[in-house]
Amino acid sequence: MIRTLATSLIAMMAATAVTADDLTVYSAGPKPLSAALAEAFTAKTGITVNLFQSTSGKVMARYEAEKANPQADVLISASWGHAITMSEAGELLPYTSVNASNVPDSLKTEDYVAQGAAAIAMVYNTTLDMPAPSEWSDLTDAAYKDMVTMPDPAASGAALSLVQGLASQDSDAAWELISDLKDNGMIVPGANAAALNPVLSGARGVVFGAVDYIAIGQKAAGEAIEVVYPESGTVLAPRPIMIPASTDQADEAKQFMDFVLSEEGQALVAERMILPARTDIEAKRPGWDALTLIDFDYVQAAADAEATKAAFAAAVE
Amino acid sequence: MMPAQAPHKQRGGVLRASLFLATMGFASVVVAMPVLAVILFAIFPELNALSLVGAFGNFAPHFDDPRLLQAVFNSVALAVSVCAISTVIAVVAALLRVRLGRRGALWDVLFLVPFLIPPFTGAFAWIQLGQNNGFIEQIFGFNLSAVLYSFFGIVVVMALNLFPIVYFTTSSALQIVGQRYDDVARVFGATPLRRLFRIVLPLVGAAIVSSNLLVFIMTVEEFGTAEILGRRVGIDFVVTYIHEKLSDWPIDLPGASVLSLILIVIALCAYSLHLKLTKQVATSVDEVQSQARESQLGMAGTAVSHIALGLLAFVAVGLPLLSILCSAMMQRMSGGLVWSNLNFDAFIALFTTHEGALDAILTSLHLATVTALVTVTIGILAAFFIVRWRSVLSDPLDFLLTLPNALPAMTLAVGLILVWNQAFWPWTPYNTWWVMLLAYTCIMLPYPVRMITSTLRQLPMSMQDAAVVYGASDLGVILRVNGPALLGVSVASGFIVFSIASRELVTSLLLTPPGFETVSTFVFHQFDQGSVNTAMAMSLVSVLISGGFIALANYLNSLGPSKGR
Repeated sequence: MIRTLATSLIAMMAATAVTADDLTVYSAGPKPLSAALAEAFTAKTGITVNLFQSTSGKVMARYEAEKANPQADVLISASWGHAITMSEAGELLPYTSVNASNVPDSLKTEDYVAQGAAAIAMVYNTTLDMPAPSEWSDLTDAAYKDMVTMPDPAASGAALSLVQGLASQDSDAAWELISDLKDNGMIVPGANAAALNPVLSGARGVVFGAVDYIAIGQKAAGEAIEVVYPESGTVLAPRPIMIPASTDQADEAKQFMDFVLSEEGQALVAERMILPARTDIEAKRPGWDALTLIDFDYVQAAADAEATKAAFAAAVE
Repeated sequence: MMPAQAPHKQRGGVLRASLFLATMGFASVVVAMPVLAVILFAIFPELNALSLVGAFGNFAPHFDDPRLLQAVFNSVALAVSVCAISTVIAVVAALLRVRLGRRGALWDVLFLVPFLIPPFTGAFAWIQLGQNNGFIEQIFGFNLSAVLYSFFGIVVVMALNLFPIVYFTTSSALQIVGQRYDDVARVFGATPLRRLFRIVLPLVGAAIVSSNLLVFIMTVEEFGTAEILGRRVGIDFVVTYIHEKLSDWPIDLPGASVLSLILIVIALCAYSLHLKLTKQVATSVDEVQSQARESQLGMAGTAVSHIALGLLAFVAVGLPLLSILCSAMMQRMSGGLVWSNLNFDAFIALFTTHEGALDAILTSLHLATVTALVTVTIGILAAFFIVRWRSVLSDPLDFLLTLPNALPAMTLAVGLILVWNQAFWPWTPYNTWWVMLLAYTCIMLPYPVRMITSTLRQLPMSMQDAAVVYGASDLGVILRVNGPALLGVSVASGFIVFSIASRELVTSLLLTPPGFETVSTFVFHQFDQGSVNTAMAMSLVSVLISGGFIALANYLNSLGPSKGR
């Protein structure tokens, strides 16, 4: 018994010991995507990938805590703001991939590039006795009384992007909209899943500011929901890939970035219903031409993020 | 009634000294180092980059934060309320259970189940049941959302999750105390109520106080329910505030460490209050009566006890499990509870299309088993150094081994990264299986330590004295004299550790080595990406497997020589 235990212990140690030659990738969800990318990359290059899969927040927390002895060679977050802040702090290795030429300028800089993007949408339950919404402001109507949920911008980068985008158009109107929604009984229960689940189960009717690819996938799986992009415009939540300047595997990390932006890599991104970063790769969902996007200054918005969150908190008070 | 300790101070020898060094050394490496790292990090905000600039710069802004003050108040209020409710539930249940003798063993196994359900999943299960259009409304036409989404709702959900700690400690204490004192009082004509408050409860007071310390500290530290229900209600707790600092941009690790210090201070206060109370209520009996007895109730009494315990089990175990089962079987969340929408596809998919699921279960079982063995061994040794072979280091050791419960698991994970992810270690457990074991051991140590310590306190000193007089060595005292009497509580605490470790989420999320998955991280990622039925199916499978292990071990244990029981 003890011998078996000891053998298995040693086996597990050996199996999980990270060797210096491997590429260590920290990625925010969805896990099937990062796993598929890692697997295809290894098949193509022979470089082993150690994948740490978590949420954006945990990925960044682990990166921060490891600063004395950095481990990550590539970071993939679901929040563009993470990349902006790290770039400003000079913590990223500049690299422009040859495969990035078809990525729109708004989704790439010298330091980081998007793997793909989610668009922010309204998602509503079609089984409820409730009209179909078409505009953000529709949800202040009495027909949606106590029906609306919204992810908290403090916990969801996507919801923060939406608030930033709306506020960049007309900030007074944006805060008034949020405050009217609150008066109409909107709840702000936490991160993305916490806002979407009550709508799926019919406890609530519609999400204001849902990450679309999760909902599109669920609709494809037969859930009675619809995904709506308001004509007045929505925002993208791009998913940045970054190479920390502290990496000792810069070449391999660059190869990984090239691979994610290659046609093969982007096809894997499209497979998860995420909008591929490259405009020449076909999306399996409303693509670049189908979306009306609010154009706003991401960098400025990131600088104002604290104030934006505070203003949001005040509006839903 | 405290036994005199003085004569034993002089005794001891090489063996005892080396055992003490081993225990203390273990505690230092596993607990003190990460905790110290967190404390230092609170003081030096750039410690993560091994820099000591800006010392203490982080304290002032936090202490002016009105939100923090409110959060501290909420956390303490929550913890006190949860303690009160879980004590009432648990003590009543334990009194009923003990009177059932061996026939009540079923309830012991059932009441372990709340530990097996991750708080995160448990809170979600209650939401699915009680929310507007939830399962209860779909079947019975009313919902519980007004109660569920309130401070009281959070208290009840947490108490239903935590009462087993008080239950197990109290019922094993009641078994040791036995029936004799109560019988004596009855013979002399004391009323049942008077006997309960003057005889029975005072005899198990130490156990109740000691387990309440755990409940208090766990409530302050527990994250899943506070996050899921608390955010929805709009109530801030210290632990959710810490989590926000650790995962919402900009990530503020030193800020989280400062807030963790506040939790440590709260725990310290609770701990010293507990010491004071323990001194007041500590009792020990002259003779162990650990033999499991037959039921002393008549038919009617037995039936009523079983019904009462059954009701509690239905609410604390049955309802959440049913809710998880329904959520797992629902093909479409929007499809509602209708037969056409229910099947076992999610369970089948778990073992066909999700290749990681089985590995995750094996990993969690392996980790949980090793953690249980290690922590119980240390718990027994520590209990002797804390209760019997006292020295000036006894109380510090006790506090050190209780401390991990006060730290939010996420902060502890940060502490472990700070300690072990340094280039100067020749070999480091970081990024291997071992760091998970370190983290789990650290988090779980308080359970066996608390439970075994409180039981050992009650054991008669006379047996140990007799053994020593007849020349028993220290090891002999542990293994042959007190060991058999401690076996029950050791096994119980091992089960608790196993249960909690088999579903630990928070440190796992931050510490899992690349390519490594536990049951809880699997569930969390499925949940996060919207596959609620897969997440719930995995939770249920894990509950069943771990529960099965416990039931099996419990059964084997009961087959063993009755001498040890």
